[in-house]
Amino acid sequence: MSNTILGLGFILIAGLLSAKVIKKIGFPAVTAYLLLGIFIGPSVLKLVPVGILNASGLISNIVLGIIAFGIGQNFSRYHLRRIGRSVLWISVLEACGAWILVTSVFYFLLQQPFYLSLLFGSIASATAPAATVMVIREYRSKGNFTDTLLGVVAIDDAWCLIIFAISLAISQAIYAHTVATSFLVNVFLQTLLSIFGAFALGALSALFLSILYRFVRTPTELLILTLGLVLLNIGIATWLNLSVLLASMFLGAVLVNLNRYSFKFFDSLKMIDSPLFLLFFVLAGANLEIHILSSLGMIALSYLILRVMGKVIGVSLGAKISNATTSVRKYLGFGLVPQAGVALGCALIAKSDFPEAGNMIFTAIVATTVVYELIGPLCTKYALRKAGDIII
Amino acid sequence: MQVKEIMSKEVISVKRSTKLKELLEIFKNFHIFPLVPVIEENRRLVGVVSFRNIIDTFQSYRPNVLKLIPFLDEEEQDIFKMDINEDMGNLVAVEDIMEHEYISIREDVSLEEAYNLMKLHLKEELPVIDKAGRLAGRIGIFDIIGVVFREKGIIK
Repeated sequence: MSNTILGLGFILIAGLLSAKVIKKIGFPAVTAYLLLGIFIGPSVLKLVPVGILNASGLISNIVLGIIAFGIGQNFSRYHLRRIGRSVLWISVLEACGAWILVTSVFYFLLQQPFYLSLLFGSIASATAPAATVMVIREYRSKGNFTDTLLGVVAIDDAWCLIIFAISLAISQAIYAHTVATSFLVNVFLQTLLSIFGAFALGALSALFLSILYRFVRTPTELLILTLGLVLLNIGIATWLNLSVLLASMFLGAVLVNLNRYSFKFFDSLKMIDSPLFLLFFVLAGANLEIHILSSLGMIALSYLILRVMGKVIGVSLGAKISNATTSVRKYLGFGLVPQAGVALGCALIAKSDFPEAGNMIFTAIVATTVVYELIGPLCTKYALRKAGDIII
Repeated sequence: MQVKEIMSKEVISVKRSTKLKELLEIFKNFHIFPLVPVIEENRRLVGVVSFRNIIDTFQSYRPNVLKLIPFLDEEEQDIFKMDINEDMGNLVAVEDIMEHEYISIREDVSLEEAYNLMKLHLKEELPVIDKAGRLAGRIGIFDIIGVVFREKGIIK
């Protein structure tokens, strides 16, 4: 198909309908979008116009910027004060658990290059709460376990963005200086620069947004201003070679503490983000190269198992340190199985930064996402039932 | 003209500890559930309750946490099928359902500024606070429109 606008309309309507259908059988819309993307993509039905496929990078960068901006809200004084000790320990350790376990096994046992192992490891730290929340809603789950689970899935992506930014900077440095003698110093400096530069840029953008807010009079102007500044921030970060995800997250994080009406900025973006998210997931599915998949069997399977193991071990360690209940220690990890938006976004960045290895990372992440999204709700149901928060 | 010159000083407010049952009793004869300010002992404004918060109470999750999560599917609400019983009226307190993030306005700002703020955030009424953050009154968009019409001589 070459008619781009026809293709866009088709994707939106097909996405809407497929989400309606899949919700009936207890899966989140994300799963429908991804499967739709794979189905209508170049590997199967070839219905996605080339114009849209070529815009995948652009759309995913915008969507990721918007997501990371929203994740920054986690760092408001209000939320930080209310976040419990167990949620903090468990979320940090489950994210790091998956990161460290996947990275080490990929490097030492599967003999993959270190930068590649590190990228897989960092992506493994992400969690997608849509499926988890869907199960919680469906069975009207209530209790201490549910509260802790929701707290962990909410803040988890913030840790993932930080972990991914550090890993990406290290991977890029290793990739670029494979034989340099001052190698470690270089890696360290580049990582620091990428992170602190992103923080400075995000903070400056937040200040600028807060100043310009004074001239805004209507909700439409507020939407245009917010979107404009989020894009400007992404653009400058790309231009200066800083971490795009962190710059967006810090923009959100500083803004939420700077402006007392900051929640309105985040709310205004919610008016337009849904169709963009839909497009992002459909394109992620459409970009899956099924022919690579067969050569990735071992890697994808190891990733599938190790990520969950890392999370389960991390949760149990965090629960022990923070004296959480036994059910949290034993079962909370199983509520963290789904992976989607943030992981796919990170994989897309890896794909564009590392042309050769990136394709393999992206394909493995799309394929494992489909599997995780399908088994995730069952795992969550199991965890909630074992913890006694739902009775089925 | 400043907000304090035209605001209503008599405002029905509630405390964090007010029970849902008491809250609903207060407004049961009203046509519209207004934006209800939540105050502490020293009258400091700490939140607001709108009709939306009352419905959200019966969702099985805490909406405040979920605001932070991307890609969440919206829950289809059916208020006729809500799982509620009589005890809820006493079990749920304002503290559990109030909005912590809200728009308020200082009593010493101009009417133009108040009107612009309402227009920007699509609000028809706002709680008014003094310099110390204590609840001083409420102002509605119709109060401001009234002033304009009075100035033009349409109403006396």
